Amino acid sequence: MPGRLLAIVLCALLAESGGDRAVDVGAVVRDGQVYVSSTVSDSLMRDLEEPIQAGLSTTITYEAELRQEVGIWFDRTIARATVAASVQYDTLTRRYQLSRSVDGRLADSKVSEDKADVKRFALGFDRLPLFSTGDLEPNAEYYVRVRVRTRPRVTFFFWPWGRDAASGSARFTFIP
Amino acid sequence: MASTPGPSTSLRPAVPAPAAPRPRRPFRDNPLQVLLGIFALVLALAGMMLLLNRSSQLAPDFLSEFVLYSLSVVDLTMLVGLVFVLARSVIKMLVERKRGLPFARFRAKLVLLLLGMTLIPAVLVLLVGSQLIFNSVDRWFNQPMDEMLDSAQRIASDYYHDRQRQVSDETARLARNLASADLATSDLRVVRDAVAGSVTDQRLTLVEVYRLAPGVDGLPQPMPVVDVASAAAGRVKTRDTSERLAARAASGQPDAWMREPLDSGGELIRAAAVVRRTDGSATGVVVGSVQLTGEVAARARRMTKAYESYTQLRVFKPALTGVYLSFFLMVTLMILVSATWMGLYLAKRITRPVQLLAAAAREIGAGHFEHRVERETVDEFGSLVDSFNAMADELAASRRALEQSSADLERKHAEVEDRRRFTEAVLDRVATGVITIDAGGRIGILNPAAARLLGLDAGAAGRPAEDVFGNGELKPLAELATAPYVAGKGWPAQEIVLTRGGREVQLALAATPLHGDGRQLEGRVLVLDDITPLIRAQKVAAWREVARRLAHEIKNPLTPIQLCAQRLQRQFSGAPASVRELVDECTGTIVGEVEALKTLVDEFSQFARMPSPRRVPTDVHELLTSTLGLYEGLFAHVRIETLYAVSLPPVRLDPEQIRRVVINLVDNAIEALNQQGLIVVETRHDAADGAVRIIIADDGPGIAPEERDKLFMPYYSTKKRGSGLGLAIVRRIVAEHGGSVEVGANEPRGTRFTIELPCGEGDAPAGTEMA
Repeated sequence: MPGRLLAIVLCALLAESGGDRAVDVGAVVRDGQVYVSSTVSDSLMRDLEEPIQAGLSTTITYEAELRQEVGIWFDRTIARATVAASVQYDTLTRRYQLSRSVDGRLADSKVSEDKADVKRFALGFDRLPLFSTGDLEPNAEYYVRVRVRTRPRVTFFFWPWGRDAASGSARFTFIP
Repeated sequence: MASTPGPSTSLRPAVPAPAAPRPRRPFRDNPLQVLLGIFALVLALAGMMLLLNRSSQLAPDFLSEFVLYSLSVVDLTMLVGLVFVLARSVIKMLVERKRGLPFARFRAKLVLLLLGMTLIPAVLVLLVGSQLIFNSVDRWFNQPMDEMLDSAQRIASDYYHDRQRQVSDETARLARNLASADLATSDLRVVRDAVAGSVTDQRLTLVEVYRLAPGVDGLPQPMPVVDVASAAAGRVKTRDTSERLAARAASGQPDAWMREPLDSGGELIRAAAVVRRTDGSATGVVVGSVQLTGEVAARARRMTKAYESYTQLRVFKPALTGVYLSFFLMVTLMILVSATWMGLYLAKRITRPVQLLAAAAREIGAGHFEHRVERETVDEFGSLVDSFNAMADELAASRRALEQSSADLERKHAEVEDRRRFTEAVLDRVATGVITIDAGGRIGILNPAAARLLGLDAGAAGRPAEDVFGNGELKPLAELATAPYVAGKGWPAQEIVLTRGGREVQLALAATPLHGDGRQLEGRVLVLDDITPLIRAQKVAAWREVARRLAHEIKNPLTPIQLCAQRLQRQFSGAPASVRELVDECTGTIVGEVEALKTLVDEFSQFARMPSPRRVPTDVHELLTSTLGLYEGLFAHVRIETLYAVSLPPVRLDPEQIRRVVINLVDNAIEALNQQGLIVVETRHDAADGAVRIIIADDGPGIAPEERDKLFMPYYSTKKRGSGLGLAIVRRIVAEHGGSVEVGANEPRGTRFTIELPCGEGDAPAGTEMA
């Protein structure tokens, strides 16, 4: 009995500590905007498949930050944007209700019965103009960091504070 | 000294600090706060229990995002708190042990015991409860239930799919049938007939046909043309949704179907199909709908809901398990924290008063008798504190009394010491000898005068009087020291004669008993007075009286005798030569002897009426030098040497009288030397005694010790001539100057006269030594 409890606790801790996944992030500057693309690995979808199939409203939140490195100090965050992809599966009709919002504003929504479509929709976004270049200095180096969080949490972590499900970044030099 | 009244359980040393703010009582010492804390704890537990009971009704998302989060936060907080409390206790224990505080080990043992007694069952309950939770959660999700719910959900879903496919197929068929129809111009009856069959055959409940007209945004806009509905569909027609569906289909979106719940409880399954001509251009849209009755739809929905709830619960299985485990862990930690806190509280409640008492005892032991321990409880510890404070009060009072007694004693001791020093000073300085003899016959005090008079040293003190006074001369003292005491009579006074340095010393000896508090005899005091000068003075006074009377009685008849002798001489001046010769011889002898008698009588008169000295500050050396100058060249075989001190202070004296003294002594020396020998005149200054000494020594035949003291007696002379008054006058002059004159043997031979004269401010008054 104690072994089982211990094993669960250890697994929970290991799951928590080993949960980092890479996020492919791309950043392109064009027309005074920083276009950000992001793709998470398929393994995240595997973790989310069960809650999605159970009809839970599942949200994958991409927290994008436009940052600049500052020597030996903490990096400076210039701007933030949040992209949230929600998936709601209707078990009766076997259709997925998909929606995407940027900073709380609905950007896209559709209904699909195709899992591949759901995966494409939920596991990333392509060239979304998240940041303006107005605050950027010419010829300076920046990077876009994207942290991914999912909801709901379906695993038990003794550590109550949430951690990123995945994270990644992309660097670029701002040339006006 | 209580400064914080109230039923607190803590005891603090009472420090008189009226201006200090009232210290805030710790939580554990505030019963109201403790009760409130316990109440809040119970309330929180009840809330948690309620929450857990209703957990099945709560959304899993809420459980995982809020409840589990909250429980984890509480668990971690309590774990950190427990670790903190334990670490603090361990550190405090180590510090207290290092500082040597009492009961540190006891406190640690008590806390560990309570913690151990609680930890083992709590952990056991946690393990067993966890296993029960695992088993219970596992039982929720068993395979039959999985299969049953999955099958039910599939049935409902398949039914929906079949109906949806049926609607889609029928609608597509109707759209194909309308391909040749011109929806904008053709007869509506034709169109209605083309679609009415599906309704009539109950393949569809409602059919709506739209024609496509160009919209303002360029997209085709569906415009209603005709609709056919079954009798039951009249209540459920919803044009808005069908138009949206038609628009979606017209815009080219695939899978143009939808499900629309109805207010009546049923549902509409709707599908749209585009009407296209043979050339492929879209002319309209057909929207077909099938109505599911409320009961069917509700059952399907319930099956789906049950399936979703079940699968969602299964998804949240780890989280739910975590919720229950967290709750169990929280209760366990709560028990452990409570046990630890209770252990610390009990240990402190037990040991703190004792520690305070021990500290207070140390304070009182260090002399701080005003230190008190505050009593704030009414239990046994309060009584103990009361007893301690009462003891401290009594100690303080005793200490004050003791200090008062000590001060009195010190004062009396100082008085006694002053008296003792005064007595010692008196005894040291007085010329009277004092000897104390205790009841055991041992000598206690032997003052310097007694030692000098008896020729003893200070070491005689403490020895038996019989041993010290055992020799012949001091025998009377031994007898007096050991003589039995007769109450009321005492001991008779005695006079004893001792020989000291060839001189006879006459001592008056008296004894006084020393009585204790009970009047018992504790010893005796022997008092010795040197009465030699007194005896000597009495003798001189007697001689002076004799001389005065002798001079008076003799001198008066001398003149008639002399006159008669001279008259006889005149009368017989004419007598025969033989007679005249005889008369002249006889009268001459008479006149001569009368003259001698007159001279003698004058000396007697002078001795009897010695004038008081007129003392002036005088340089002794100058006086001696001028006096000795008189002898220069007079005696060829007598050598007079001077041996003066380096310096002498001026001495207040009568130069003429002292000159007479010196001349007298030098004359005596020359006569003793038979005008052949050495005379040494020496001066010394004794600053300690404040005296100047003039020593006149010769190397003549010397004087026998037994005759030395008689030299100064009037009419005592070793010479064939002389009145015997010379040295008596010398002694009288010196005595009139407050000094003394002594005679002793000179080394290696001869006689040595020592004149001691007081010098310095306020010279001794005349007559210290009676001549």
